[in-house]
Amino acid sequence: MSKHTDSTRRDFIKASTATAGAAAIAFPNVTFGKPNSAKLKIGWIGCGGRGSGAINQALAADSNIELHAIGEAFQDKAEAGLERIKKYHPGKISESVKKRMFVGIDAYQKVIDSGVDVVLLATPPGFRPQHIKAAVDAGKHVFAEKPMATDAPGVQSVMQSIEKAKKQGTSIVDGFVWRWTYAQRDTYEKILGGDLGDLQAIYSSYNNNARKRYVDWNRENTKTDVEYMLRRWYYFTWLSGDHIVEQAVHSIDKMLWAKNDEVPAYAVANGGRQNRGEEEGNIYDHFGVEFAWADGTQGYHFSRQMDNCENGVWDRVYGSKGKYTGESGRKLHVFSNKDGLMWRWNAGPNGERSNNGYQTEHDEMYAAIRDGKPLNTGERMIKTTLTAMMARTAAYTGKKVTKEMMLNSKEQLVPDKISFDMQFPPRAVRHAGRDEAIKPHGWS
Amino acid sequence: MKNDTPNRREFIKAGSTAAVAASTLSFPTVTFGKPDSRKLKIGFIGCGGRGTGAANQALAADSNVELWAMGEVSEARLKSSLTNISKRKPGMVNVDKKRQFIGLDAYKKVLDSGVDLVILTTPPGFRPLHFKAAVEAGKHIFLEKPMATDAPGLRSVMESYKLAEKKGLAVVAGFCWRYDPGRREFFKRIADGAIGDVQSMYATYYTGPVKPMPPDNKRDEEWSDIEWQVRNWYNFAWCGGDGLVEQAVHSVDKISWLFGDVPPHSCVAVGGRQRPNNSGNIWDHIEVNYLFDQGARGFLGQRQIPGCHGENNDYIHGTKGRAQIGGGLIITGKDAIKGETNNWTYNPNGDLWRYTGPGGNMYQIEHDELFASIRDGHPINNGARMCNATMMALMGRIAGYTGKQVTWDMALNSKQDLFPKDQNWETGKHTPPAEAIPGTKEAIAPHGWA
Repeated sequence: MSKHTDSTRRDFIKASTATAGAAAIAFPNVTFGKPNSAKLKIGWIGCGGRGSGAINQALAADSNIELHAIGEAFQDKAEAGLERIKKYHPGKISESVKKRMFVGIDAYQKVIDSGVDVVLLATPPGFRPQHIKAAVDAGKHVFAEKPMATDAPGVQSVMQSIEKAKKQGTSIVDGFVWRWTYAQRDTYEKILGGDLGDLQAIYSSYNNNARKRYVDWNRENTKTDVEYMLRRWYYFTWLSGDHIVEQAVHSIDKMLWAKNDEVPAYAVANGGRQNRGEEEGNIYDHFGVEFAWADGTQGYHFSRQMDNCENGVWDRVYGSKGKYTGESGRKLHVFSNKDGLMWRWNAGPNGERSNNGYQTEHDEMYAAIRDGKPLNTGERMIKTTLTAMMARTAAYTGKKVTKEMMLNSKEQLVPDKISFDMQFPPRAVRHAGRDEAIKPHGWS
Repeated sequence: MKNDTPNRREFIKAGSTAAVAASTLSFPTVTFGKPDSRKLKIGFIGCGGRGTGAANQALAADSNVELWAMGEVSEARLKSSLTNISKRKPGMVNVDKKRQFIGLDAYKKVLDSGVDLVILTTPPGFRPLHFKAAVEAGKHIFLEKPMATDAPGLRSVMESYKLAEKKGLAVVAGFCWRYDPGRREFFKRIADGAIGDVQSMYATYYTGPVKPMPPDNKRDEEWSDIEWQVRNWYNFAWCGGDGLVEQAVHSVDKISWLFGDVPPHSCVAVGGRQRPNNSGNIWDHIEVNYLFDQGARGFLGQRQIPGCHGENNDYIHGTKGRAQIGGGLIITGKDAIKGETNNWTYNPNGDLWRYTGPGGNMYQIEHDELFASIRDGHPINNGARMCNATMMALMGRIAGYTGKQVTWDMALNSKQDLFPKDQNWETGKHTPPAEAIPGTKEAIAPHGWA
């Protein structure tokens, strides 16, 4: 409990590579170190459902702001995205935005180069490291949806970008929405403050429906491997990270929060695919995970995407003085012990502690930019991403996966250069214990 | 809850009654309630590896016993077992050719052959049937875990152990850790408050496959479905119960032990099969999450896949400390060191207890105590807790297979009867359900839940 964030962070960075420090050394100071009242131009990259939500919230976060450019892999999605956002914020869309609507896999670079101040990164997460890097290198403020990467080389890249952004004073703000929700902030402040005593065990579940996605897209009406996979991105590990890294990562994020953002020493996990069809790529549909922290705290996480099964998204933290039970969706946050109720979260007499984290993440991001103190939440977002990846990899390989093994894994899922016409057949589903699952990591 | 269906409350009562009885050593006087020094004849049903071990241990447990009859479906296995035991225990084996019974009904013949005690070590699917017959015939019983492979079987076992109690018959279950001196001390200390209130336990049973299913082309044309399935019993839920119920049930039993053999309220489980297993229908991995009183949790990770991380440890967290089985039996209080690399490294100078008492072979101790209890007229009956642990494993499997949150009473009253009706070795037909897909009608409907 007494472990300070800084020392943990140093260990974490040290454990990665020596290059992170080297890359970050000599970066010039940029202009963002003082209050800023200029009109901020936003580049929106990735126009799917969450991206559409995020741009809506970003435009609501500040009065002197406009949507300046759009980047999407697909024309139809870019146009649909623009139509949607026009309805919500007609006055905040640049009149000439259509001229800066870029389509294709390299659209992100064109958006970054189009004169924007801020980029909103909401493509499938496999692209995130590359997009974060390009945006940070160009000195842009970044809002990045979770998760931050889908493989270890991606994590390494993002870590370097985070350091660089910190040095140059640009924002990196994440979409781990519960971190921006007051109910969770109130709750975890108490946990970290010791209200539950020493933590012993943490449990979370993210059991949900399978939700058939992309019913309109298949091998027949897509031309190439990459187009096929992009249209159905959730089902491919290189693009989404698998549902534990893409979705249940919210729960893993809260587990890390309770542990003051310390990455567990190792993960052991089971997982598999019991009810996914051929068109559903190579991700799993269930995981059961044990995380072990260096001080002996253990974390148990279950996630499932199957229809007609038990659904539950619960958080529990067990400490020497009591336990926390939470269900984020219902804003239920309770501390209790043998004697009964210790504390129950409430929104306050006027509901002032009730907020929409999706909005607050943007509100706080822009307020900080205006203040001249841009936020950089990169460290915790990448730690959470790495932790979810440890769990996924422990299940995929059947191995006990330590933090160091994961950080130094050589398995690169996302190609350096991606094009629609490249040869890139979908990878087979991984089976625990098999060479195909283990060897690419470079583990002996 | 209707009165005519078994329920959780009844288990809680049964558990506490047994605990009280065991701790005060005041058993009621029963029919067999007086010292017994006669020669005891042993019948042995199911002569595989574990069974042969158990028979040898039974013969080592008491000087005035003999192996009297054997039952098996495979003559070769019976002979090989008999040879093994005869070598180890010459002079204690008296299994005339006439009392070597072969076939699915061999158990009846063993029970009718004049034995006093039977060892039930066939594949567990048969256990409820054999146990019932043995109790009805008034025999003392050693039975291997698990006690059943489905809820109807378990309910039958519950009735049988209660009848055994009335009749004063010994019922000793092969949940061997219960007879291990170190674990007894370990769990007693925790029950006495060594780590405060127990909040969670994580039990691991990560191993390789046990008896993988051969492909269909290895099936002899002569073999009926029943013979084929019994020969490959581990791979069929009706016969072996699944890896969770057959093997990881040892870990489930320790969770049950820790929580005072009081049933969990409910559980949720995720799992499946990664490696194809020919026509077998069991899973190769599952993770179960049991909910107990006061919100305490029992987590179980089980896997039978080659090339993976192996582990068979237990980790327990309480409000005032921690305990682990793994690298010894260890309990620490608040002064546990914050280890750097191994999360369960403790300060040797701190508040630490490590078991240093005698070891002993728990498999032998089971039988030593079984025979001693018969001799002194207070036969042991492990019925309540063996049913609790088996039912917990079954509910974990049911939660995994169905995908549902399963309460104790839902699991206990499940109507899913896996046992094949056509029990004919030569001609028995039986098509077991396919590997379970959670959330599907096929997986859920057989339980008869409203």
